[in-house]
Amino acid sequence: MERRTFIQLAGATALATTLARPALAQQATVRWWYHFDNPENNPAELIAAFEAANPDIKIEAESIPWGGGADYYTRLFAAIVAGAAPDAAMVKLNNQAQLIEMGALEPIDAMVSAWDGRSDISDDIWSVNKSADGQQYYLPLQYVVLYLYYRPDLFAAAGLTPPTNHDEFLAAAKALTQGDVYGFGMRGGPGGHDNWGAFVLGGGASFEKGGMVSDAALAANRWYVGLGTEHKVIPPSAPTDGFRQIVDNFKSGRAAMAIHHVGSSNEMVAALGDNVSAVPVPRGPDGKGWTLFGDESNAVFSSSANKEAAFRWISFLSTGANNVTFNRLTGQLPVVTSGAADWDLHEARFVEASAASLPMASVPPDSPLTADFVRTVWPTNMQQALLGQITPDQMMEAIERHFHG
Amino acid sequence: MKPASARARLTITPYLFLLPALLVTAAVILLPVAQTAWMSLFDYVLFRPRNIPFLGIGNFIRAFNDPVFWVSLWNSVVWIGAVVFFQFILGLGTALLLNQSFWWRSAARALIVVPWALPSVIIGLMWTWMYDFNLGIFNDVLLRLGVIGEPIAWLARTDTTLPAVILALVWQGFPFFAVVILAGLQTVPSELLEAAEIDGARPFQRLRHVTMPAIMEVVATALLLRTIWVANSLDVILVMTGGGPGYVTHTLPLYAFLKASSAMEYGYAAALALILTALLLVVVFAYVRRAAKDLEI
Amino acid sequence: MIDRRSRTRRLLEVELPILLIVVFALAPYVWMVLTSIKPAADITARPLQYLPSTVTFEHYETLLARTSFAGNLLNSLIVALGAVAVGLAVSVPAAYAFSRFRFRGRRVLMTSFLVINMFPIVLLIIPLFVLMRMLGLLDTFIGVIAGHSTFAIPFAIWMLTSYMNAIPRELDEAAMIDGATRLQTIGIVIMPLVMPGIVTTGIYIFVTSWNEYLFAMMLSGQTVRTVTVALQLFIGEFSIQWGLLTAGGTLIAIPVTILFLIVQRRLVGGLTAGAVKA
Repeated sequence: MERRTFIQLAGATALATTLARPALAQQATVRWWYHFDNPENNPAELIAAFEAANPDIKIEAESIPWGGGADYYTRLFAAIVAGAAPDAAMVKLNNQAQLIEMGALEPIDAMVSAWDGRSDISDDIWSVNKSADGQQYYLPLQYVVLYLYYRPDLFAAAGLTPPTNHDEFLAAAKALTQGDVYGFGMRGGPGGHDNWGAFVLGGGASFEKGGMVSDAALAANRWYVGLGTEHKVIPPSAPTDGFRQIVDNFKSGRAAMAIHHVGSSNEMVAALGDNVSAVPVPRGPDGKGWTLFGDESNAVFSSSANKEAAFRWISFLSTGANNVTFNRLTGQLPVVTSGAADWDLHEARFVEASAASLPMASVPPDSPLTADFVRTVWPTNMQQALLGQITPDQMMEAIERHFHG
Repeated sequence: MKPASARARLTITPYLFLLPALLVTAAVILLPVAQTAWMSLFDYVLFRPRNIPFLGIGNFIRAFNDPVFWVSLWNSVVWIGAVVFFQFILGLGTALLLNQSFWWRSAARALIVVPWALPSVIIGLMWTWMYDFNLGIFNDVLLRLGVIGEPIAWLARTDTTLPAVILALVWQGFPFFAVVILAGLQTVPSELLEAAEIDGARPFQRLRHVTMPAIMEVVATALLLRTIWVANSLDVILVMTGGGPGYVTHTLPLYAFLKASSAMEYGYAAALALILTALLLVVVFAYVRRAAKDLEI
Repeated sequence: MIDRRSRTRRLLEVELPILLIVVFALAPYVWMVLTSIKPAADITARPLQYLPSTVTFEHYETLLARTSFAGNLLNSLIVALGAVAVGLAVSVPAAYAFSRFRFRGRRVLMTSFLVINMFPIVLLIIPLFVLMRMLGLLDTFIGVIAGHSTFAIPFAIWMLTSYMNAIPRELDEAAMIDGATRLQTIGIVIMPLVMPGIVTTGIYIFVTSWNEYLFAMMLSGQTVRTVTVALQLFIGEFSIQWGLLTAGGTLIAIPVTILFLIVQRRLVGGLTAGAVKA
């Protein structure tokens, strides 16, 4: 396409000019897009600190409505198509393959290896963020890991301990489903693949070809759908429940277990005090487990005329104390090892449960089809299965078809 | 009409008057519509800018073989029919009542427009919140009144979800009809109604034979514009259910929107939008032909 | 006796039903207002807390002091008024042409204005974004105003045409025979008579623009952010700021409702005039 060639040309020229003279001899402006959950927070202090340290760079930060992810990415993709992409932006792995396929991202391998903050981020996090083509486009910024919230008081009353495998989970869910309390506040709406993954991917399904329709995968999914259709240990509203409903269900005592992450721990504690705790999600029959790594990174866009300045800004945000400050604004966990030690925004038991979950944390495949899987394919099929409109096996076949035709 | 044909000679003037509207509309809507229509002939996936194969009518054939298209089309028919019908009936009733005189009439007139004054995002969120299984006011009130024995998951069932969303949209839109019809009612000469009353016509007969014919044109235009608006409105559904559970609240524009924004299949989404437009055109042509004389089109 | 009976009847047949309708129209709004003055803990409390345990205005304070909401309200006002001005400026002449001239292509053009209204706007946002970028109108008031006024043009033209048709043609013919130019005729005869219709259409454009989200989200950045976009910022990835959201929703409805109260009489009068032609 003509526009693309033009952008590439413009990008190349810009790069040549930056290389030709001492870096950033001139004032550079970096346009950076972000999304925070709490509109009271803004990154003004971080920007001021950065600009004080880098007087040659000016940061133009713009908060973009998240809109369930749809608004943020619609805006981002439109900007890319129109040649008006920001220099850098907060991005998630679900969309990485699409962005790479569009040629929108700039590999940052060289800049990362020259950056001293590199070793402060663990290799696990680096490897999760690596793209399928082996290059590094994403600079880790923050993360959450999905774990199992449970009610210690209800478990104690029923003489139960938190479940470590799927059978114990089902037994506990059955025992705790009483009156208007449901054992498990399942998330069936968009985003609920993070609940499903723990049991179905953790139970033997995989995104490889044929991985959704293997015997183990089908059995695991039948079991998971059966929590609703057969055992009725989930609230009737589960098919369309989103994060807000599962968190509210748990907070108000409607659900004895829920799968979410550290981001909701403070409001859980505010509502339930000591009567809430967390453990890693239960493991599958083979002893392996799966839980979602909720990632967030920064990336530099290939159309940027100030890539080096952009990298300086995003690497500033992923460095030591800055990364800690940043996560205080977003309520997630810092990616820097140095920041983990005295992290006190969330209560220790939830940070520990997150850390204990890291070994089995993973992300959906690095495929351009992942974003649509997460937003529409998974929820529509899961909901139909829960409502008995299709069988659990048909649901898995639909997912297999989505990824492998 | 003789004078009309005489005036037809002054051709340039009307076009000058139309020029600004035509220019702005052509630039801001027609051009993007044309681009989108052109896209419908391609397998245009947004994240594959280097590979855009020409499909011809392939996207349209795909739609006809796509079960979700048919489900969405049917939901759209139910959606448009129910929303427009109930908005109209409620709006008509409200207008007839507000046309009576009582001491707090002007307050009532101003208050009923509140739903129209709220953005769809807020409406969607508030109604979702009210329907909430756990913390929703609907379940709470119905439980307290003893109407239901246990809470209902309004937005997670195949039978209640579409009606629940329709109710939210009826609420949002009935003030539009109320205001428009109320205005129409002011024009009905009171002598006519009095004459009918003296002739022994009962209230319903007066409504049917005197009032309705007099406001028919206003009603018809409002219905037409509203049908188009409702057919394309998806923001409240999007916020409330995202089209779920399953495909229960998928309407055609919502499906097209999801195909575009989630799957990024702009070619296919454009084809779906064109089909919707074509179907609406049929409705409009039927209307325009019928109303051509009255509207002096 | 008769008087009292008819009063009771009126109460039962008119006031009671209209009271129910007003309650129906207001209940969700009232629920929102109540939520906005509850302390955060009350909002998700179970059993449901109908009335706030203590009335608090903390959400409003936060909204106005710690977020950009007040500035966004002003932006929305500028955009909506701009959209009304531009929308009317192009729709009034167009409606005049449709109403007062019989020319080739009239019927086709008038129908076309309706037809393009039928294409879902959500699918136009990327081409529109590219267009606005080419014109350099991203994140400018002109860009958002251009969009909002254009979306309202088809409806505005149809409404205004019907209002103009209501004005007897003999009036302007008489004026022109008396030697007035066409523009004078429009200024002296048409405009004053069609004013209620213009007000009505203006309100329609105002409300549409005031409530519009998608286009404003796409085309406005920090500079021109409108209230609907600002409200969306309260719905995060992992949390919903219920207090801020309901406080914002409460405030957002007030300007439009006040506008309605002010122009109510004209609005009804306006639509009446439009209906006469039928």
